[in-house]
Amino acid sequence: MEHAQHIIDATQDIFSSMIMLEVTAGEPFVRNNDKLINSISGIIGLAGPTKGMLAIHMANAAALAVTSAFLGMEVEEIDDDVRDAIGELANMLAGNMKSVLDPGGSDIKLSMPSAVYGEDYSVDCLAGAQSVTVPFTFDGLGFLVELQLRTDG
Amino acid sequence: MDFSKIIAETTEEIFNCMIFIDIAAQPPLESGKQAMGCHVSAMIGLTGGISAMLGIHCPSTVGLAVAGAMLGMELEEVDADVKDALGEIANMLAGGIKERLSSEDIDLELAIPTAVAGTSYVISAPKGSQRVVVPFIIEQGRFFVEIKYQLN
Repeated sequence: MEHAQHIIDATQDIFSSMIMLEVTAGEPFVRNNDKLINSISGIIGLAGPTKGMLAIHMANAAALAVTSAFLGMEVEEIDDDVRDAIGELANMLAGNMKSVLDPGGSDIKLSMPSAVYGEDYSVDCLAGAQSVTVPFTFDGLGFLVELQLRTDG
Repeated sequence: MDFSKIIAETTEEIFNCMIFIDIAAQPPLESGKQAMGCHVSAMIGLTGGISAMLGIHCPSTVGLAVAGAMLGMELEEVDADVKDALGEIANMLAGGIKERLSSEDIDLELAIPTAVAGTSYVISAPKGSQRVVVPFIIEQGRFFVEIKYQLN
């Protein structure tokens, strides 16, 4: 749970500066690989001595609202723009958190973001990493930001 | 970097040595969006000389067969064992690719594997990334090994 505050700081920072949305953080929890229904997830791997992944999980309605605000245009379906925006959001969140978790800059490297989307799927991180998820809300919509980390050696 | 060749060789090596299933690589798929009809995937990030995501995508029956062969047990549903086994395969594939690329002076580091499972999902990569997908055949059907990458 030690990273919950990092997630909250990074998410509020990115949302207020890049997306112009104020988001409210809820109580951190450990996600149990619950099914995601009609959702999209932006996922990015973290490599180096500290490994892990960062994911943002959003129901479609939240993803459309965030992408519309991010791109400054109305987006009505989960298309390439939305997939790119949510992947980029994961990338920005990971970059922001890296600057806090790894101020020296050599311990964590970001890989390429992917977007997973669909009517019914689950996302599990493997390999015994520590995990914490923070729920956020804005305008009656919600999303989750999940961080999994493992330090080798 | 001939990724279809690298994927075919690495995957065949790992399946021969670690999982003991005979597999045959098929020609890489044409690029573009693929409806692979897959219900369990494992993926892992790689970064360094290139920024990449390696994934293995299986229909349920194929995922069960591969994980079952690797674990030496009969598996009936896509559970944590299946996801762990596929995650470990993704990890080994990424390790094999890392080794092959280091001989071309491209250094890479691996993230940790993530499993995606469900009845309906698609995995996409950022605009402007390259993508290579190689199908493999086993007795129960086809699975796919994919790399998406950007040059850094």
